[in-house]
Amino acid sequence: MEKTEFIALVIPFKDKLYRLAKRILISKDEAEDAVQEVFMKLWNGKQNIENYNNPEAFAITMTKNYCLDRLKSKQASNLKIVHSNYQTSENIEKKIEANDGVEMVFKIMETLPEQQRIVLQLRDVEQFEFSEIAQMLDSNETAIRVALSRARKTVRDAMIKNYNYGIG
Amino acid sequence: MESVKIKQVLEAYFEGETTLAEEKLLENYFNNEKISDDLLQYQPLFAGLKAAKAERSTRAFHLPEASKQKTIKTWWYGVAAMLVVAFGVGSFFFSQPEYSQEEKEALAAFEKSKQAMLLLSENLNKGTEQLTFVSQFEKTKDKIFE
Repeated sequence: MEKTEFIALVIPFKDKLYRLAKRILISKDEAEDAVQEVFMKLWNGKQNIENYNNPEAFAITMTKNYCLDRLKSKQASNLKIVHSNYQTSENIEKKIEANDGVEMVFKIMETLPEQQRIVLQLRDVEQFEFSEIAQMLDSNETAIRVALSRARKTVRDAMIKNYNYGIG
Repeated sequence: MESVKIKQVLEAYFEGETTLAEEKLLENYFNNEKISDDLLQYQPLFAGLKAAKAERSTRAFHLPEASKQKTIKTWWYGVAAMLVVAFGVGSFFFSQPEYSQEEKEALAAFEKSKQAMLLLSENLNKGTEQLTFVSQFEKTKDKIFE
């Protein structure tokens, strides 16, 4: 497979991989690194990529595994993930204030267990079918639905608590 | 959009029982239309999900040429090794009976001088045979003069 051909194949789901990586790793830099790493792995194993009927699902599974490994090794070496997503320029601060509710939802999502975060990301952000998610996560649809329901409820409860607090 | 229906779909949504189409409906309702007051508290969730969809990777990824070069290199090593082995085996088989002109001459000279030596030693032996007569003469002489 030629380089241009490979790029044409993977570019359409680059942002999806990035968003998933960011949902798991939180940090933008870490997420970009993860995407780079996954593409390198795909490129090095490009002889095989044509054999997978769904390269996108395959890449998503790889990204998920890579990010979880990354988290594990971080925790094992007792390093905290340092991220500096919050730029200090005034413009951006104002924007964040305007999207306060959005920021809050992002923060709540960060508190979810990884598996729930991944399911929520793949369903509510990337809008994959349950069957696709089950395949990507090597799980079954029932388990996915349960995890998704828990994640949505957790976000809802935390959000409503915050919302009422803001009003009262 | 009637809020009663939205509430029903929302209920199913939190149970994980909505279809993608229904979820699309919720997304549109909470992001575009006038939201009824009792549903306003759910709005941040769908605004957040919409914002999450808009996130984009900003860094370009790069692919090394290395993987391609690597296979070419190992391929070359294989060919080089085979050539060396083939050359070694080939030269062992083909060069053995081959002598250079100089070597041939030397070999011929060696054969000739060997023959010459043999001839010489034969003749020398003939000479010693003749000497037996001399010893016989000595014996008879001793008999007579005793």
